[in-house]
Amino acid sequence: MKKILAVTACPTGVAHTYMAAESLMKKARERQIELKVETRGAVGVENELTEQEIAEAHAIIVAADTDVLESRFAGKPVVRVPVAQAIRNPDGLLDEAMAKEASAPASLQAQVAQTKEARSKGRSGFYKHLMTGVSAMLPLVVAGGLLIALSFTFGIKAFEEEGTLAAALMSIGGGAAFKLMVPILAGFIAFSIAEKPGLAPGLIGGMLADQLGAGFLGGILAGFLAGYTAHYLKIGIKLPRNFEGLKPILIIPLLASAITGLLMIYVIGEPVKFVMDSLADWLTSIGSTNAALLGLLLGAMMAFDMGGPVNKAAYTFAVGLLASQVYGPMAAVMAAGMTPPLGLWLATLIAKKKFTQEEKDAGKSAGVLGISFITEGAIPFAASDPIRVIPSIVTGSAVTGALAMAFNTTLQAPHGGIFVLAIPNAVSHVGLYALAIAVGTVVTALMLKILKKPV
Amino acid sequence: MNIKELLHEQSILIPLAAASKNEVMEKLVDALVASGAVHDREAYLGALHNREATGSTGIGFRVAIPHGKSSGVTKPALAFAKLAEPIDWDSLDGQPVTGVFMIAVPEAAAGNEHLQILIAISRKLIDDEFRERLLAVEDAATLNDLLGAI
Repeated sequence: MKKILAVTACPTGVAHTYMAAESLMKKARERQIELKVETRGAVGVENELTEQEIAEAHAIIVAADTDVLESRFAGKPVVRVPVAQAIRNPDGLLDEAMAKEASAPASLQAQVAQTKEARSKGRSGFYKHLMTGVSAMLPLVVAGGLLIALSFTFGIKAFEEEGTLAAALMSIGGGAAFKLMVPILAGFIAFSIAEKPGLAPGLIGGMLADQLGAGFLGGILAGFLAGYTAHYLKIGIKLPRNFEGLKPILIIPLLASAITGLLMIYVIGEPVKFVMDSLADWLTSIGSTNAALLGLLLGAMMAFDMGGPVNKAAYTFAVGLLASQVYGPMAAVMAAGMTPPLGLWLATLIAKKKFTQEEKDAGKSAGVLGISFITEGAIPFAASDPIRVIPSIVTGSAVTGALAMAFNTTLQAPHGGIFVLAIPNAVSHVGLYALAIAVGTVVTALMLKILKKPV
Repeated sequence: MNIKELLHEQSILIPLAAASKNEVMEKLVDALVASGAVHDREAYLGALHNREATGSTGIGFRVAIPHGKSSGVTKPALAFAKLAEPIDWDSLDGQPVTGVFMIAVPEAAAGNEHLQILIAISRKLIDDEFRERLLAVEDAATLNDLLGAI
């Protein structure tokens, strides 16, 4: 029995939404088709479709003139029409939905996307705010880092010559994009906590952190400080009704910015600058043994939960250090984040008896996710056999991380996988970097070959 | 269901003689203003026209449901007109309209109860039998009985 789902919505949300729903239900009853209709109208979302229902549905009818969160239906056959169409022609829509080719069982990519989605929804509190800031900051780091790398193609000191293209690229990447990193990080952490009133104090606090030399750690602190200050001012200050309008535009930005700014300058700035300076000094003068140990730790963290909080902690640490011109940990982190899916792909080739046909097919997709630095590609494999898969990928990633640090490789961009290798100077010691990734991949694959049980 | 709270006696126009869609809408808005449901005639009329501009509210089956959400609306309300002569409403099925339900919703919809009633009526319009009886009403009392029974 084919199950059909539908969503109806219209801008006013009192008439068409419900008439469309009713009209579809009526026809479905007449034709004995199993149908559930979610309505998104003036009284909110009713009869909401669950993830499971969506997964089991044959096709989904979207009869809407407004947004209905269609991303939920990724990979499903969808019949998309204006809401009025469902009132006028419910028969035709049901025909069309029934005739849709059923979707293939969720592909690896879809599963990965779903896990990511579920994770970002499940994030809460501290972690969610931090991730909002980090994800707002990332495009700046990508653009800035790669433009700086491009400037180096004219020679490592070429940008010092004023008026040259190298100098222009450097001022876009280093002078503008990288200068915005910490303010945007802090601004969006604060935005995540206190919404719009938090943005200005967060940006200001972040800018101060940058100017004071307190780096990304200072930025994170400034973001939380600004966010919670704005949040508590928002709920704490009570004004007569006539003046209420002044709160978000005058009072909160002024007070929260002043409080955040003064604390940054007089209290937080100096000690955090000291920590950041020591960290940067240590990282730039680190001996190869310590470097390898740091790489080992970062690498293991990247693989441990494949995109979860531990992975993101290592990642955030490395990205933040880019703002302080420390590029080694970034290299280790990306390399180590690539090997888990790559190792699984290799394992499906060298240990054919230990994977199901389905897993072997998925292995190819995992390979693609691996070279793209999407560590989450390993999740479906780890989920079905965590006790054997997780130690294998953690070991491989730790080896890769350690090698990348020991080889003194650096990476200017926070993402891109194998594709940044093609951009000149984005990665130093490209050959050794590729070697580090290859060794970790092989280690993971061999461990899987030994540990996994035949299917 | 207490339909009288939503559909004031002054907002029931049976029959209504009008020459155009615009005239029907204006007369119904005037009725809503007279009943106290709408305080800013122009604002609400603007919302109605904006809604029509995105697609006709002639839902077919000779019924139209012009509706608008506006700060000019004081409280959720309904108005009904049975037209003396069918009027073209650019309906989905091309048929002229004889029954017109006008729905007024305030910008900040306070209390879901009234909205639920409007929604119930909207749903009911899909029912053939209900529609036939609706288009056959001859006076306010039968209309109230019909809506009250939902």
